[in-house]
Order: sequence, then C-alpha cells, then structure tokens
Amino acid sequence: MRVVLAEDNVLLREGLARLLAEAGLEVVSGVEDATALLADVGRHRPDVAIVDIRLPPTRTDEGLRAAREIRRRYPGIGVLVLSQYVRVSYTVELLDGGAIGVGYLLKDRVTNIAEFTEAVRRVGTGGSAFDPIVINQLVQRRAGDDDPLHALSERERAVLGLMAEGRTNQAIADRLDIAERTVEKHCTSIFTKLGLTASPDDHRRVLAVLRYLNA
Amino acid sequence: MGAVAWHKHPRSRVGPLAAAVGVLVLLAQLPLHPVLDRLCAAGWAAVLIHLVAALPTGRLGSPAVRAVVALAYLNELVMLSPLLVTGLSDDLVKDVGTFVAVLVGAAVTAMQWMRWRRTSVPGRRSLTPVLAAAAVAVVLLLAGSPLWTPEESLLDMGLLKVGLVAVPLAYLATELRTRIERGAVADLVVQLGSAPEPASLRAALAKALHDPTLSVGYWVAESRQYVDADGHALSPPPGSVATRVDRAGEPVALLMHDPALLEQPTLIEAACTAAALALQNERLTADLRARVIQLAESRRHVVQAAEAERRRLERDLHDGVQQRLLSIPMALSVAESSLPPDAKRARALIAEAKDMSLAVLDELRALSQGIHPAILTERGLDGAVRELTLVAPVPVVLTVDLPARLSAEIETTAYYVVAEALANVTKHAAASRADVRIDQAGDRLVVEVVDDGRGGADPDGSGLRGLATRAEDNGGTLRVTSPVGGGTRVRAELPCA
Repeated sequence: MRVVLAEDNVLLREGLARLLAEAGLEVVSGVEDATALLADVGRHRPDVAIVDIRLPPTRTDEGLRAAREIRRRYPGIGVLVLSQYVRVSYTVELLDGGAIGVGYLLKDRVTNIAEFTEAVRRVGTGGSAFDPIVINQLVQRRAGDDDPLHALSERERAVLGLMAEGRTNQAIADRLDIAERTVEKHCTSIFTKLGLTASPDDHRRVLAVLRYLNA
Repeated sequence: MGAVAWHKHPRSRVGPLAAAVGVLVLLAQLPLHPVLDRLCAAGWAAVLIHLVAALPTGRLGSPAVRAVVALAYLNELVMLSPLLVTGLSDDLVKDVGTFVAVLVGAAVTAMQWMRWRRTSVPGRRSLTPVLAAAAVAVVLLLAGSPLWTPEESLLDMGLLKVGLVAVPLAYLATELRTRIERGAVADLVVQLGSAPEPASLRAALAKALHDPTLSVGYWVAESRQYVDADGHALSPPPGSVATRVDRAGEPVALLMHDPALLEQPTLIEAACTAAALALQNERLTADLRARVIQLAESRRHVVQAAEAERRRLERDLHDGVQQRLLSIPMALSVAESSLPPDAKRARALIAEAKDMSLAVLDELRALSQGIHPAILTERGLDGAVRELTLVAPVPVVLTVDLPARLSAEIETTAYYVVAEALANVTKHAAASRADVRIDQAGDRLVVEVVDDGRGGADPDGSGLRGLATRAEDNGGTLRVTSPVGGGTRVRAELPCA
C-alpha cells in the first residue's frame, strides 16, 4: 500500500514515515504544505493520503480543505486526516463526500501502531476510520429521554460505537471478544431499534449510523 | 450722543466725532463770521461721513474706507478755497463740491452696506440700527443736494434734520441694548443657579452672549488640552476667536465665539465672571469624563494585548511543544514493536512511559485549549460556534449573519458567551431546544442564546458573572433574563465598529 504524507513538523513527519515503513507501508512522498500535497497526490496516485489539518502558510485548516479537494478530484484515493483536536463539524464536512475511503483521527492514535496501520489500510481500501472521541460526542449529544438510543443495551451501544468508527464485524468481534455471529445479531437489533435499513455493505452502514447520530 | 459715547467708550473715536458733528451743525446755524459759518457748514458733512464710515467701533477699517474719508475732507477744503483764493467762481466750486460730497456719501453707504452683509449675527445686532439711521441720513443728504434743489440750503431741510437726529438716536439705542444685554448676563446668573447641566451651561452662555455658534472647552491640566463637556479633545471651530476664563490664576475654560463679540469686551467679561464657578464645576466633570474615556481606552488596549498574547501562546504550544511531545510516545511505540517477544518487563515499562507522555500531552492540550480555543484560530467565530452547537446535547438552531470577520478579542468574547450559555443549558436548564443568534446591529454585535428550559438562572453565578465582566472589559454588556419556568435568555452586545 502506497502512502503520501503531509505534516509540517519534520520530527513528526519522519517519525510517522518510519513507523509506517516498519508496518510494511510504502511512503512515496512526505510534504509539508497543502500545495505540495495536492501536486504529489496527483503525481503518485497513492492508495491513501495522510493529512495534518494545520498546514502552512496560515496553519489554520489548510489540511482539511486539501483533504476535501483530494476526495473531490480523486474519489479512488483514501484520505486520513490527523489533528491535535477532533471536531464533530470537521467530521460532518468530511462525510459530505460519503463514507468511502475516509478517516479522521486524533494524532495520538499513531502511537498504537497496530491499530493505526490497520486504520490506514482500511481507509486505503475504501473503508473508514473515525475517532472514538467524535463518536462518543455524537452518541452523548442524543441525551433526550425519548431518544431511541436509550432503547439500546449496553453491549449494543458498544457495537454501535465501533461500527461508527468504521470497523468491520470481524474487528468488532475481536475487540469485544465475542463471536462474529453475535456481532451480526447485535447489528440487526440496533438497526431495528433505530429504525434504520440494514445494509450488508460496511461503508453504507457507517454512513447510515453516522447520519443517524448527527441528525 | 457724542457726549454719551465719549463717556461710555473713552477710547473710541465715535464720541469725539459725533460731538464734532453736533457742535459744527450748531455753529453753522449761529450768525457768526461768514468765513467761520462757511467753515462749519462745509466741515460738518465731512465729519458726518467720517463718523458713519467709522461706526460702530470708531476705527476706519480698510484702506478704501480711509481713502474715501480723506477725499471727503479734501473736498471740504476745496469748497472753502474761494474764500482764500480770489478769482475762483464760488458757485462752480460749490456745485462741484456738493456733487463730490454726494458721491462720497453714496460710497460710504455702499461700503457699510457691504460690511453689514459680511457681518455675523452678533455683529449685525450692533451694526444694524446705527447703519440704518446713517443710511437714512446720507440718502436724505443726497435728496437735499443743491444739485436739484439749488434754492434750499442743506440745513434748512426739515427732513435732513430728522435724518441727522436719527443717527445719534440709533447709536443711543444700541448703547441701551448693551445695558439690556447686561440684563441677559443677570438672567444667566439666575439660570446657572438653578440648572447646572453641562449642555445648558453652553446654551445659557450662547443665549447671554447672543452667539449661537459659541462653544466651550474645559481645561484638563493633566493632558494640557481643552476638552468638550463629554471629555473629548477639542479643536476650535474655524473663524472663531477664543476668550480664556481663569479662576485663581488657573485656566478653567475657553469660550470659542464670534469675533464680533470682541467689540463688547465688558459683556464677555460679565458673562465669564458670572459663569466662572459653573464653568469650574463643569471643568472638573469634563476632566473626570476625559479620564473615564482614557481608562476605557487603556482597558480595551489591555484586553486586546492579552488576547493577542493568548492566541500567540496557543499557536506556539500547538506548533511547537505539542508536536514535539507527540514524537516521544511515537518513538516509544517503534521501540516497543522492535522488542523481542520475550522482553515482557521492557515492554511493560515502555508502555507505561508511553501512557505517561500521552497523559502529559492531553493535559497540555487542555491547558492550551483553556488559553485560547484552537478552533477559533482554525475557523473563526462562525465555525467555532457551529462546533459548539453540534456537540450540544439538545438540538440547537444556529443563525449567524456577519458581513465581515470581527476583531480577535470580540470573536473570542462572543465565542465564550455561546459556550458558557450552552454549557448552562446542558447542566441546569432541562431544556428541549435552544436558539443561538449572532448578528450585527449597527456598530454592535448581538449574541443571543435562548432556551426553553426551566429558567431561574442566577446572573451572579460565577459563570455568568465572569461572562459579564468579560463583555464589559471589551466595552460591551451582558443581560440575563431568566424568569422561573420561562426559559433563559442570555444576550450580549459587543462593540464591533
């Protein structure tokens, strides 16, 4: 899997490149600003672009805007956005273009190499990876007593959260230490309780759940 | 008239000139020596023209006026010439001389008319009666000219006599009015005693001095300048002159008024004396207001500087230490993965070190967020408030209508108003929904958060109190309306011009 990396801090860029290389991913280019990112993504056509949100020159949201531009120009290329803070509004903006090949994680997640490289591979193959902090915020804001979320069991809510993060049934089963069949049963129950149409497609499932949470 | 004027204004030439006209007219009618008679008859017209040209101050203004008056005197000399030089035709000289006298009279009248047109309102008040009467006299002089009524001697004309009497009467009327205006000063004293309002002080002085353009500047010793009643620095209006009012050797105020008032120095003096105490009071108030303005200004500067500093600090933390700190757990995780499978103890220690550095990073991030919300840097007020409404636990309808980016400290204040109000909605209000509205009304930014909860919020609770202080620090206000059972409305108005 080929990766283009945009991060303005040299120390982090090199550390990240080494970490990805050790996990068997090929970093074809490491750039420090959004202009170079768009150019290199066009030239190398990687599987995934990993993008820091605050990039020069203004270090505000150049990275996020470049990420959306990549998704618009090259729908086949996955985009994983990293940042020191995760925002619900940025998640919503990224989901504007659908939930295929997109991710948004807190920068700290890179320190769990196995989880992080798994997320990169997922995004690079058309999956999604959203930070548990954002998912938690989305779940918690539905605090109204009459919300269907209250009808979910503890275990169902955990499955919902992992599902919204973009994980596959297999990954959810591994994480919760239960059988994949059990995860499938939970999913059916969750979709029924929330009034959503169940979909066998992981990508569409993520979008449905996130849209529901953000409604 | 001459005697009165001489007595009242000993330095003015109006008195002697008027007296001279009167004496000459009287002498011309007495049967004295024929040469003396002729001298008086010829002389009084010239002196009259001099008097009219010199009214009301007694000074001759422009060189043109001086030339015309000189011509009048010269003409009278010429008219006397047949007495001194024999062989000249007396009638011819008389006819030509009278003709010149008429021309000179017309010229002086025209000049004074032009002068009246140029004069300001207070100036006209003293000029009008005298000039009107003088004009009548000169016109009558022209009408009675022997050019077309040769049989009549000038002084036999009854009408002319009326005209001649009118000039001194008008002058006396003006003098009388000066006395009445002193009465206006007395009114001023009474008024100042009952209504010492700053605006009415200026109005009272303007009324007493009959100068609607009059303005008052108060002396601020500290900044060594004059300020208006609201404490703002003052520049004198164009074309005005200033009279300084002192008290106990210290400047108190500056009256900027029409130059015409300088012709009535005693009136100004009386008004200033009457108003000195009130002006002194008003000076102290204006001084105080100027200090209040200064204080508000420096408070704003402090707030702005603090805001800029906080923004810089957040950026420095984010781009510097936060990023570098993250590279530590990153390096540790690479080390972790390269350990042999049986190095359990080393793996546990590395994991511990990694968790610790991530916890430090988390704390640093919270600290940096407290210094300045990062999303304001990234997205401005609109984006930052949108994020707040998205994570709020009740549905929030957000309306933002801003034509342009606001100043940094106003954006931050508005952000905290929404953040704190929405946090209260979550914690206390038991609301089912909320509305956030941010828009501009003239030079004010209005930030309003309304919920449909149980109300009864305490505006003096620490959160709202702190918010009110923050709004005031930025020159704004914060109002909380929260009737029990009637929802809560937090409304901030901030300057944004």
